[in-house]
Order: sequence, then C-alpha cells, then structure tokens
Amino acid sequence: MIKRQQRRRRRRLRVFCQGQQAGALGRPPARLGAAPGGSMAMNYNAKDEVDGGPPCPPGGTAKTRRPDNTAFKQQRLPAWQPILTAGTVLPTFFIIGLIFIPIGIGIFVTSNNIREIEIDYTGTDPSSPCNKCLSPNVTPCVCTINFTLEQSFEGNVFMYYGLSNFYQNHRRYVKSRDDGQLNGDPSALLNPSKECEPYRRNEDKPIAPCGAIANSMFNDTLELFQVGNASDLTPIPLKKKGIAWWTDKNVKFRNPPGTDPLEERFKGTTKPVNWVKPVYMLDSDEDNNGFINEDFIVWMRTAALPTFRKLYRLIERKNDLHPTLPAGRYYLNITYNYPVHSFDGRKRMILSTISWMGGKNPFLGIAYITIGSISFLLGVVLLVINHKYRNSSNTADITI
Amino acid sequence: SLLPSHLLTFYLSTHSTAKYSMWSFLPRYLYLQFSKTANAFFLFITILQQIPDVSPTGKYTTLVPLLVILVISGIKEIVEDYVSVLLVNALKNTILLLIVILKIHVNVGDIVKATNGQFLPADMVLISSSEPQATCFVATSNLDGETNLKIRQALSETATMKTEKQLSNLSGKIKCEEPNFHFNSFAGTLYLNEKSPISIGPDQVLLRGTQLKNTEWILGIVVYTGFETKFMQNAVKSPLKRSKVEKVTNMQILVLFLLLLVMSLVSCVGAIYWKDRYRAEPWYIGKSGNFGFDLLVFIILYHNLIPISLLVTLEIVKYIQALFINWDEDMHFKGSNVYAMARTSNLNEELGQVEYLFSDKTGTLTCNVMTFKKCSIAGITYGQSPCFISDAYEFNDPALLQNFENDHPTKEYIKEFLTLLCVCHTVVPEREGNNISYQASSPDEAALVKGAKKLGFVFTTRMPNSVTIEAMGEELTFEILNVLEFSSNRKRMSIIVRTPEGRLRLYCKGAVSDLSLAGLRTLCVAYIDLTEIEYEQWLVMYKKAITVVKDRMKTLEDCYDSIEKKFLLLGATAIEDRLQARVPETITSLLKANIKIWVLTGDKQETAINIAYSCKLLSGQMPRIQLNANSLEATQQVISQNCQDLGALLGKENDLALIIDGKTLKYALHVEVRKCFLNLALSCRTVLCCRLSPLQKAEIVDVVKKQVKAITLAIGDGANDVGMIQTAHVGVGISGNEGMLATNNSDYAIAQFSYLEKLLLVHGAWNYFRVTKCILYCFYKNVVLYIIELWFAIVNGFSGQIIFERWCISLYNVIFTSLPPFTLGIFERCCSQESLLRYPQLYRISQTGDIFNIKVLWIQCINAIVHSFILFWLPAKMLEHGSNFIVFCYVVVTVCLKAGLETMSWNKFTHFAIWGSIMIWLGFFAVYSSLWPTVPVAPEMTGQGSMALVCPHFWLGFFIVPIVCLIQNVAWKSNTCHRTLLEEVREMESRVLISVTRMFTVRIYLLTASPCFALSDGYAFSQVERAVISQEELVRSYDTTKNKPQKTFSSATLE
Repeated sequence: MIKRQQRRRRRRLRVFCQGQQAGALGRPPARLGAAPGGSMAMNYNAKDEVDGGPPCPPGGTAKTRRPDNTAFKQQRLPAWQPILTAGTVLPTFFIIGLIFIPIGIGIFVTSNNIREIEIDYTGTDPSSPCNKCLSPNVTPCVCTINFTLEQSFEGNVFMYYGLSNFYQNHRRYVKSRDDGQLNGDPSALLNPSKECEPYRRNEDKPIAPCGAIANSMFNDTLELFQVGNASDLTPIPLKKKGIAWWTDKNVKFRNPPGTDPLEERFKGTTKPVNWVKPVYMLDSDEDNNGFINEDFIVWMRTAALPTFRKLYRLIERKNDLHPTLPAGRYYLNITYNYPVHSFDGRKRMILSTISWMGGKNPFLGIAYITIGSISFLLGVVLLVINHKYRNSSNTADITI
Repeated sequence: SLLPSHLLTFYLSTHSTAKYSMWSFLPRYLYLQFSKTANAFFLFITILQQIPDVSPTGKYTTLVPLLVILVISGIKEIVEDYVSVLLVNALKNTILLLIVILKIHVNVGDIVKATNGQFLPADMVLISSSEPQATCFVATSNLDGETNLKIRQALSETATMKTEKQLSNLSGKIKCEEPNFHFNSFAGTLYLNEKSPISIGPDQVLLRGTQLKNTEWILGIVVYTGFETKFMQNAVKSPLKRSKVEKVTNMQILVLFLLLLVMSLVSCVGAIYWKDRYRAEPWYIGKSGNFGFDLLVFIILYHNLIPISLLVTLEIVKYIQALFINWDEDMHFKGSNVYAMARTSNLNEELGQVEYLFSDKTGTLTCNVMTFKKCSIAGITYGQSPCFISDAYEFNDPALLQNFENDHPTKEYIKEFLTLLCVCHTVVPEREGNNISYQASSPDEAALVKGAKKLGFVFTTRMPNSVTIEAMGEELTFEILNVLEFSSNRKRMSIIVRTPEGRLRLYCKGAVSDLSLAGLRTLCVAYIDLTEIEYEQWLVMYKKAITVVKDRMKTLEDCYDSIEKKFLLLGATAIEDRLQARVPETITSLLKANIKIWVLTGDKQETAINIAYSCKLLSGQMPRIQLNANSLEATQQVISQNCQDLGALLGKENDLALIIDGKTLKYALHVEVRKCFLNLALSCRTVLCCRLSPLQKAEIVDVVKKQVKAITLAIGDGANDVGMIQTAHVGVGISGNEGMLATNNSDYAIAQFSYLEKLLLVHGAWNYFRVTKCILYCFYKNVVLYIIELWFAIVNGFSGQIIFERWCISLYNVIFTSLPPFTLGIFERCCSQESLLRYPQLYRISQTGDIFNIKVLWIQCINAIVHSFILFWLPAKMLEHGSNFIVFCYVVVTVCLKAGLETMSWNKFTHFAIWGSIMIWLGFFAVYSSLWPTVPVAPEMTGQGSMALVCPHFWLGFFIVPIVCLIQNVAWKSNTCHRTLLEEVREMESRVLISVTRMFTVRIYLLTASPCFALSDGYAFSQVERAVISQEELVRSYDTTKNKPQKTFSSATLE
C-alpha cells in the first residue's frame, strides 16, 4: 500500500517536471515515454535533464531540486482521498449488515442457552418468608425461600447476590476508602486516609478497613439446599474462594506484613462501626482472612450502576454425568442482616451458568442484530435513492 | 508639539516585532496566556481543585494538562519570537537611526539641520542647503510609496542663509494652512521682516518620515511636529486583528461555559431531588454534602466541556500553516529571492473568506517600471510590435534613427521631438563616471528621458536655470525661464526656455484622454514659439499669481492657460506601465472566485482606468459610471441619479464599473450620502477610486468593511497603503523594492500580486477547512466525553462521581485524542492545489462560511451529545455488570474514528494520528492498570486492563459501539442525490490519479498554467491596435495643416 502511494507521488512529481520541461524545451512527451527502464527511470531521467534546460521563472522545475523543498513543505504529500459515494458506502452498509446479523444471532442463541434464575429475597411482599426480617428488631433473622429449577444447570454455576438502588457509585461513597491500607501499608493501617471520614477512627482507634465502602459490606449469608425426593435437604457445596479477580487478591489487597497471627498484625485498630466481627475474623482460612477475604474484596470493587450483582459463591461442576444443579426444588437459606429497605433497595440471589462470552446477556445479541438490520436497511434506502436520483442529479459543471 | 518619547513609541510599535526580552519573558508570557479567558478559566478550576474534598478528580488533574499546554505554547512563542527577531534584524539599523533622530526635541519654529541619509523628524520649510541652488533630494517612499527622489528647493530669498549668524538674524513669520494629510499640497507664506511676503509651496516643504538623499546637509524651519505632521495625519493605529472564525469560536466557548453552568445547576437540583427521595441520604454513604459545595463539584466535573487543548492546538496548527505559506515555492519570487511571509498566523483562515479585495495600483498591479515603448512623430509611428515578443522591453525601432540620419522629410520634427523630451521635464541627472542615471519625480518622465538618451539625445546637466543636453554629440544649453507645472486638472506641464539660438520657446507635454485609454500611457508633445512681448506680458501676470495664498492653484492654472495657446504638435509618446506577471489571469481567477476587486490608487484617473483595462478589470463593453463632482450637492445629486437609473438592479451585482476620484469620494463618504454611495458602489462589479490620500484608502476600506460585513483584504506596497492594510481584515503587503513600511504593517507579505491567487485560493481555502474542522472536532470530542459524565450523574445520584479514572480524563485531551486535531489542522485538504486553482469557484465554499458558523457548531454539539448518549447507555445495557472504564475505550476509539471520517485526505501522518491514538490508548490502558501499588496511582485501575482485554464482551462492544455512533454520520455524509462542485472535483481527482490516460490531461493543464508561458503577456498592451490608429489619426490631422501648423490644444484635445 505504502509502496503504491510512493509511486503515485513520484508519478505526480514527474508529471510536473515533465510538463515544465517538455514545454520549455519544446519536446514532445513521446520522447520521454521512449526512455528505457520503465516509469521510474523516466522519472529520474526527466529530472536530470532539467539541469541543462533553460531557467524557469517562479514555480518552475528548479524547486523540485532544492534540498529543503520536500513534499511535506510544499504540501504535496501523497494522500488517500476517501470519497463517500454510493459506490463505496453502499457495499459498506451491506457488509456491516451481513456480518453483524449472524454475529448477533450467534450471541443471542448463546445467551439464551445460559441458564439463569433470580430470586428476590428482600421480603417487601408481606407473603414473603423474609418479610419478618424487615423489622430491625429481629436479630438474627433467618428465612428460607424455596424455588424450583425447571431445567438443570450444567457446568460451573455462579451464585451472585444482587442489590438494586444501591449507589455504590456515589462520589462520597466511592472515595471513602484507603487503598494503601488495604494494600497492607502499616502506616496507613494505623493512620488511614482522610478520605475515609467519617469512618476513619472509632473511639480513638483507627478503623481497619476504614471508610464507608468497607463499613457497608454485604453481610447476608446465603445457603443452598437441594430438596430430595423425600424432602430431605442436601446442602449444595458453595466454594467461597476464586470469586475475586486474581490481581485484586494477589496485588491490590494484602494483609499487613508480618508473620504474627493476623490478630496481632491488626493490633491497635478497631473494626468498622457496622461490622460484627473484626476484619481478621472474617474467615477461619488464613488465606481468605483479613483484607484478602474474597467476599470483602468483591464488595470493595464498587459497581458502576446502582443495580448490580456481585459474585458470591462458586458451585463447581461434579462430573460430566451429573448436572451441577439438576432440575428440581431447592431451598435458599438466608441469614438476613443487610438492611436495604430504608432506601427502597432490593436484594436478590442469582444462579447462572456461563458460556464462552460470559453470563447471560440477551441485549448484546439484540444490539448486534438491530445494528446489522439498520445498516442493511440504510443500504437499501440509499440504493433506492441513488437509483432514483442518479439520472436527475445535477452534475455540477466543472469545465468552467 | 509632541515629546520624542511618543514618537519613539510610535516608531517602535510599528517597527519592532519582538515581543519579549530575555528577562521579561516569564511574567509577560504568563500575563498574556492568562489574559485569554479560557486559560484563566482553567487556572480558576485548578485553584478550585485545591479546596479539600471538592474536586472529584483530585488536585492536579487540571494543573498538569494546563502546564503541558503552557509549556508547549511557550516553546512556540519562543520559536516564533526568535524567528521574528531574526527577521527584524534587517530593520535594526533603521530603527536605531530613527531612535537617534527622534531624541531630538523639536518644536515648531525651531531651525533644524539634517545631514545626508537622515530621516526628517518633523515637517519643515527648507531654508537652505549645501547644494549650489539650495536644492535637496528626499526619498519619500515611506510616505507615498514612490521610489524616485524628489527635489526640493529653498526660496531664493532664504537660500543664502547658511551660517549661524545669518540664521540668528532671521526673523519673521510663516503663515500656513491647517495640518492635513495631503502629502502633495502645502500653502503658506513667508513674511520676512522688511520684505514682501513670499509664497511657500510643496516644493519648499520637507515632510517628516522622508529621507535626505544626495545632499550634504539642509537647514529647515519646523512648521508641524508630532501629530500635526502629514505623516502622522495619515497614520492609522495598528489594530489587533482577529479572524471571524476566532470570534465565532470565542462566542461558542462562552456558550459552552453557560451550558456548563446550566449542567452544574441541573445536577445540583438533581442531587437535592435524589436526597429528598429518601428524606435523608442512604445510611451507607458517609458524609453529606450541601448545595454550594455540590455546585463547585459539578463545575469541576464538567469543566472540560470547554476544550482545554483547543487554543494551543490552534496556535500550533496556525503556526505551521503560516510556515507552509512561508515555504511555498510557488510564492517564491526568484527575481529577488523573496518568499511569501506570513507575519501573523491569526488570520490564516480569514484568507479563505475574502470577499472584497482592495488593491493599490502602483507597485501592486504594476511593476512601477515605465518604459518608453512607442512614439509618433509627424505622423509616422515608431516602435512596432516586434518588441512585444523581444526580451528587451524598451523602445527598439531602428527606423527612427534611420529616418533621422537619412534626411527624411520629418528629420527636423524628429530632432525637435527628441529635444523636447530632453528638455521639458523635471528629471535630475546623476553622473557616476560615464553613466548617467536619472532621478525623476515622475517615472514617466524618467522613461522618456531614458528613451531619448537611447536615441542619441542625452540629457546631461541640469542647472537651476538651464539644462544641457547632448544632441547627437552636439552640446546644447537651454535656459529655463519658467516651469508651468503639472497638475491633475491641467494634465500637462510646460517649460519656457531660451534656446541656444536665443529664441523663446514653450515646450509642452500633456495627456490626451482618449489616447491614454488605450492601455499605454500616452503624452502629446508640442511647442510654441513665443515672442518677447508675449512673454513679458505673461510674466507680469505670473508673478502676481504666484503670491496669492488663497486658491493659488486655480489662479496659477488660469495664468498658465493664458500662454499655452497655439501649439505646434510634434507627436506623441507612448509609455508602458508594465503590469506585474500574471496580473490579468490572477484577477480573472479572483473574480471567478466571487471576490470583488476595488482598485484604490493615489494615481490619476486615466492611468487607473488604463491599468484596469489592461488587467481585465474593465472591458470595452462594460458600462462605466464616472463620479466627478466638486461639491457635496453635486455628488449627492449624481449618486442618487445613478441609483435611480439602476432601479431594481441596485443591490445586485451588475456588470458595471464605478470610477470615482478622491475629491468626490470625500463628499460621497459624507454621512448623508454615504449609504447611497455604498449601495451604488456595491452594485458594481468593479470600482476604481483614484487620487486617494492614504487616509481615504483606509476610510473606504473601513466603510465597506462595516457596511457589508464581509471579509476584506487590502493589498499594497507603499507607505501610502499602510492605512488600508491595517484597516482591512487581512492586510497584504507587496514586498518589493519599495519601502518596507507596507510589508511591516501587513499580515502577509508576498512578492508579486499574482501570488495572491495561491495565497487565497489554495492556502486560504485549505486553512479555512483545516482550522474550522480542527475547531469543530475539538468541540466534538470534549462534548462527547463530558456529557457522558452527565449521563453517569443520572445513575450515581448526582453525586459528582467521575465515570473514568481521573488521569485518563485529564490526559484525554493532552494525549489520547490530541493528534487527530493536529492532522486535521495541518494536513487536511479538500482537494488538490491544482483543482483549487483551476476551479476558483471552489473558493466560495470557504468564502460563504457555510461549513463553520454557530449553526454548524450546534449541529456538531448535538451530534456529540447523541454520540455520548450511545456511548454511555449502549455499554451500560450491554455490559450490565461490566466496568465503566471500558466505556472510555469506546470513547477514544469513536472519537478517533470520527476524526477519520472528517478527514478528506489521509496522508501518513493522518494514519499515524488516528490508528496511533487508538493504539496509544490501548497500550496506556494495559500499562496503567498494572501500576498500582508499585507506583501509587490509579488503584481502581488495577487489573482492569487484563480483565477487559480478554473479555469477549469488551471486544464485541469494541466493534459495535463506534459503528453505531458513526453509521449515522456516514449515512448523512453519503448523500448521493445532490453532488456539490467540491465532490465532483474530488471524484475527478481520484479518477485522474487512477487512470494514466487522464494524467495526460493534467500534464497539459500544467503546461498551460506554467508561469514560463504566462510571463510574456502580462503587461499593459491589451488594446494596441486601437492605440495605433488613434495616434495616427491624430498625427494625420496635423499633417494636413502642415503649412499652417497651428492647432489650439488647450480645450479641444486636452481636457
């Protein structure tokens, strides 16, 4: 491509020189055409010969030989001039249409094959088992919701909790954290950033982890039971590790350094106001405790929209023969702690399988199909317009 | 009187172009930068950001880009200043000289001595000089643009006062007219004690700004100083020029600022509403805000709606555009090795919008080189067409000398004719060895004397009372008795001499109006033999006339008329006022580009009309409206009469020519007549204004500028054009051999009038496209990004949270999308240079300004809002649980591709800018998201890069989101049913490039357009045929009355 442009440029320059020179010497262009060695050779021949020719007034050939007289300075850089004509635009539209529609259909089908079930357990509906938990007096409040999977869920199943109308993207909320502290910086641990106010210190002790985000960590406990044929309950094993991003778990979040037990390392700090347990008691597993507790990490990655879901647990597939979650009845056991009623929030539990392209998302497929169709339609419309008006189009008189 | 310091400032401000010194740079530069509203605004934002807890983007996110921009623009200023210092070096000596002179404190009445080469500090009356006859020479090129030297001669009554003692005894008074701006008139009377009053005319007056030449010293009495001098009376204050596009842009920035305030207010109200919904903020949010605080937050959040990088981008872009003008080889005059020079880069795009062109004549349209081309002696015309092709442009006809030597019947006439040419003039010979060069107040006269010299009649010596010539080797001395001076009313000059044989003779040469119309400047030459009695009688009358103060001119003219009778016609001369190369072609081309051309000249009406003919401004069939009136009433009447005649055609463009002289123009620009006159003038295709003073030139430009609201351009070469050059929107100076004053006050300096074609049609049009596209694009990209913040505010409870990482936002303008505006502004071209020159009609696109006005800006902003809507909501729905930083990727990609869509011509830099910007962002994204915690920035970006770049959703969105945004633009642009001229030309160009056979046509075109071939027909020879016939006719009528060769000249042929 570049080669071709270069050649084009040379050709243009050559034309210029020849035009000047042939005129000045009164030599017909045919003489130049006879020069051996093809167009490139002709080019240089023509240039060399100019030296012997008569001097030209301004704008003459002399300029092509000046050292600083580059194509750049004379604004004669070779350039591609795209012209949006029916000839170029129509095929583009059709091609976009033809590519996007199949992709869209593919995405749509894939998305539809993903199994997903969402269970709202906020309990705003009086008939809901969790309705009782709306009152803050009942602590601890445990409620159970039963649901049925019409189809079995195969492969790894992801368990999410979803919150609605929860503004994790609120400015004063988002900034209320100390990433240094969360990264295990000992000085930040004992002296958290001002951004954490008003959750920076409590009773003269620094809060670890400080800030509004940590303080408002989601603290419902969800358990899943499969209801057997004889109404016996089989607990579904929920894996709580592997739900956070690798970089978060290994780079961004670190416990304070040291070999002491975690409790020692957090000495001198106090728990966030709303928490029941201090941060070093989030899990019994040393690798999932303190700041690197994955539930905590997931919560700390704030959502962009007020309705969001966060990964809660993994249900790993057993083997190829048995679906991870066979169709049937299940119980969702909720330890209801997290108050959302005050801000009209909603809480959901979501179970979902995934495909190559992630979770269920019919919108993406629809978007592709729509855009593909619109593009195709535009192509058709333009084709019609073009066809209709081509004859009557006013060809501007450019031979004035 | 005025203090020298003021004069000094005036001179320095017109001459010095260096803005900074080494010490003053930083404070001056910062002051200059922050006096720009936009920069001050960003400084204000930076200060706001320092208030703790207010800024959603941290403390330094505005400061850093602002510093980057200030540094870049500072480097540019230094480079520009350094270059201009270099340029001004050439002028340095002049400036120093001026300063030295101006330190002299002069008052009216002071006697001043000036020496050779000095510029005179005030208007003064010459008392005496070192030269024998109390004469002196002055160069007036700073004043009227004429290169020839002028002779000034002291009154004989004062000529002897050369010593201090004599001068201290001198007492008396000078009465003179009120200060005015007319260079060529002065009326005063000298009352010396115990002597009769002596009149003082322009010949005795030395004007400020002129330079003393060939004279050892002079003594003069100061009559006007400071602002009373004619030089200052003609001065126009140098204005700061801003382009129309810049004004629209500033307006739009203001509108965006209002939009910013509105958005901030709306967001604040939204925040209140959001809080009210829950009666209090949700429990999980830490602190609560308040209204005033929120407002500041939102102003900081949205402040980048105002494109921070626009100003510096434009500055650099325009600087490079100016360099392109300076580099252009097509505007490089090989003759004097002068390149075009853009002295300002503010007005580059204004060059693309010019609608009215005001041109000087002498030195601008013409070379200001007069050549003796033809003559007709006793009915025989010499100097035929062969010289038309020959390289020697001078008179070249051996027949004349042959006739002279071979005793042709007309030999005596030839001799008398050439003698007259040698005697009747005001030329001064200067001998250098064997060479004689002539200094003349009129280039025509010099041409005639040179012509005569070539024919063997050499004018050798001028004495105050005599001239000596060598006629074919024979030395003859003529005593000069009186000079009956030239004036525009008389259109002739005569000289009364006593011939070597002792006879009294009056030699006369004068213009003949219908002859001079024919393209060449013709003069008739004639003589009268006077008797002693006749002369004595007349001399009495003359002496009386010259002491009259009031209406002296008129009295003198009457006096002259009384003796200039019964002429014996010898023949006629024809002088060619050579047009510059390619002037008619350029004018034709500019007319096609819908540029109206007005010629404003200080020269005579006939000459102006001549030139207008030869450069194709006037054509034979074109009806002419000639306005010559002597009073306000008459002017008013003739103008309204003409307006009535035009009737419905008034206000439309007609194929008419309007010719007006300076005196009439003075009345025509009176408040009550002005509107009517302009209506009339604007209805004519061509307007010629003659005999204008410099101030009138400026005035008429100003009046038209205000009346038509179109862009005006003034082009001129002399100091007399400075006023109009400064007044017009764009001032172009011809950098030739004349004084540098015009060039120094111009915005663009070119060496030849014909370069105007390329300057306007190519550079102007391109720059207009470039600058406007660059501006539109800068607005677009900022609106796209920052309106997304508004959409995001809707879903984050109007809290002022930023959707993207803070440094990504602040680097958006400085890095990720900084290159496409540059390539648009520097390399964009609508079509090739050749096409623009070939189809001047294309100029109308930029001229009308249809591609850049408030409406277009708004369409672009709305388009940006739509794009931002898509860019936010589509990913928000599509990637429901995804990350918001992905949106930023889409924004960068979309914005860069949009630049690609706007680009009509992609060269390698464009490719680099567009694809490169996308790659830079992706690379930055990958690197930036892995910095924390090693480098303490952007913790929230940690891992985003690796997560996003492997996420299929990201890539699916990557392809669809920009396409969704841009498909509408493509559809809109590919409107196929109506093709504009530009599209046709572009299509043709692409076909020409592809097809080899088409290339041949291009070659042919280049051949014909080549300046090699255009040179030969570029001068005033357009109606040669007619000229010859008329001359012959005239001379033949003389032949028939040969025996009684008396013909009254005064009223019949001469006006």
